[in-house]
Amino acid sequence: MKNTSSLLALAFLALVSFSCSKERFLNDPGNLVPKTVDQDPGLPSILVNGVLLHSEAFGHPDSTMIVCIHGGPGGDYRYLLNCKDLANYGYRVVFYDQRGSGLSQRLPKASYTSLGLAALDAVFNELGGVIAHYRTNPNQKVILLGHSWGGILATGYAGKNPGAIQGLIVGEPGGLKWAEISEYIKKSNAFNLWSESLNDATYTDQFVTGREDRHEILDYKLALLAGTNEITGENNTEPGSAWRSGAVIRDAFLEIGENYKPDFSEGIGQFKTPVLFFFSEKNKAYPDSWAHKISGAYPLADLHKVAGVGHSGIFQDKKTWQEKTLPKLLTYLNSL
Amino acid sequence: MKTYIKSILLSLLTPFVSTLDAQTLNWANLQEENRHIIHAQFGMEYGAVFGIGYGYQMNTGLFPMVASMEYSFPSGKNLLDDLKSKIGVQIRLVQYRHFRFSAKLQGVFRRHETGLVRLLNFGSDFSGILGIYRPKWFFAGEFGFDKAIVSHFKHSKAYRDQHPQVVDGWYEPATGGNFYYGVQTGFSIKNQDIFLKGGKMFAQDFKTKPLLPFYGQLGVNLKF
Repeated sequence: MKNTSSLLALAFLALVSFSCSKERFLNDPGNLVPKTVDQDPGLPSILVNGVLLHSEAFGHPDSTMIVCIHGGPGGDYRYLLNCKDLANYGYRVVFYDQRGSGLSQRLPKASYTSLGLAALDAVFNELGGVIAHYRTNPNQKVILLGHSWGGILATGYAGKNPGAIQGLIVGEPGGLKWAEISEYIKKSNAFNLWSESLNDATYTDQFVTGREDRHEILDYKLALLAGTNEITGENNTEPGSAWRSGAVIRDAFLEIGENYKPDFSEGIGQFKTPVLFFFSEKNKAYPDSWAHKISGAYPLADLHKVAGVGHSGIFQDKKTWQEKTLPKLLTYLNSL
Repeated sequence: MKTYIKSILLSLLTPFVSTLDAQTLNWANLQEENRHIIHAQFGMEYGAVFGIGYGYQMNTGLFPMVASMEYSFPSGKNLLDDLKSKIGVQIRLVQYRHFRFSAKLQGVFRRHETGLVRLLNFGSDFSGILGIYRPKWFFAGEFGFDKAIVSHFKHSKAYRDQHPQVVDGWYEPATGGNFYYGVQTGFSIKNQDIFLKGGKMFAQDFKTKPLLPFYGQLGVNLKF
């Protein structure tokens, strides 16, 4: 027994000793997650309200502006890039990663949580700042296209500024009142105890842990966690799904939501323009009944169920985009 | 370099010493002739896990000591992509009337694979257990630390699409660590122990928690 133990110890020693070369830190920029715009000046960026945002725009600068708002909180706009096609139809298409998300600048968690509900005003003001940055004349029309959390944010903005927006397209906003959002989050993450999805999400915690504001580590863990979701039909392991998650802003906004129970449908009753409302066939947490319930907050909503895809596929899946989403979008845009 | 030293120390300590899903013993029912102990368990520990193990009671003449090796894996579609194995020792250090204090030290090797990355890790698990032990039952509290000392990352093509410059290889110093605390209880019939344990976990920063911030285990020991 003594010999066996010694052999095992030697084997363990050899494995550890020969496998290591030099110190390599999880939180060094670029090691596990891409660098952000403040770390890599080569990335396209704009400065809005003192925060450097990853952003790009396509199409003629004077054309009707469509601002694409990604999901999350803490997602990025990469999966929405099919929307670039709208530039070929005469629109100015604007993309940006929200603060603390994607490749945009990271901020400490306390910078959100210390503001309470005003942290949401900061993201509304940020959206206003993005519009102002790209707007070339005061008469330029602005249309918001928001997916998931982006749809919630777009609705909140339209409710606060009903006269400033000439069109609103939303894709599966989880809910608009906090109780709805909370319920949707629970439904979309109700993994089966025995499933691969559950252990893919939870097993990592014994390999990697990160302190608050260790953005590189926390963003990396969120990227692994968001890999696949059998309930919502998302598969973020497909090419073009994402650049980098924003774990800190996600945590902060979920905490703010729980504490202050915001209502993103406030004022949307004043927005009289028809809203194009997409939802997907394969998102089990978003049945027809839920789509009807959430879309009920808009005075005029045109519901469109997209067959064959899950939550992100409405915009991300190339074939679906070309054959289903884009034609519907163009019809809507032409009607405005 | 510090990590090398820690890893080497751990390696040297491994043969003398046994974690979270380690064999749970009733010290008051462990007879000298019970040299071999096999166990099977099911529970929650970073997922729904199943485990088996073998322990050998060593005759040190100083402290009762059980050397053990264990293997566990989480449930899921792919049963071979994730695993954890441990080797170590559990020593009963102090005995006062029906009270016993024991320590466990284990070297840990774990593997985890998703569509985005394959992780390998060498780590350690230290814990102390204090409780009342009677021949037919026991009840104890435990506190421990599970550390991921050095980890290897190999990313899939899917992740490289997201981040082409991702750096694969060994990462050190320590990539993670979680504390845990809880209770364990069980009863013994002849040469069998049936045990139940459960508790909570929190990360080494004392603020954050794992997604599953608790653990629980139901198991059985067979001694012969």
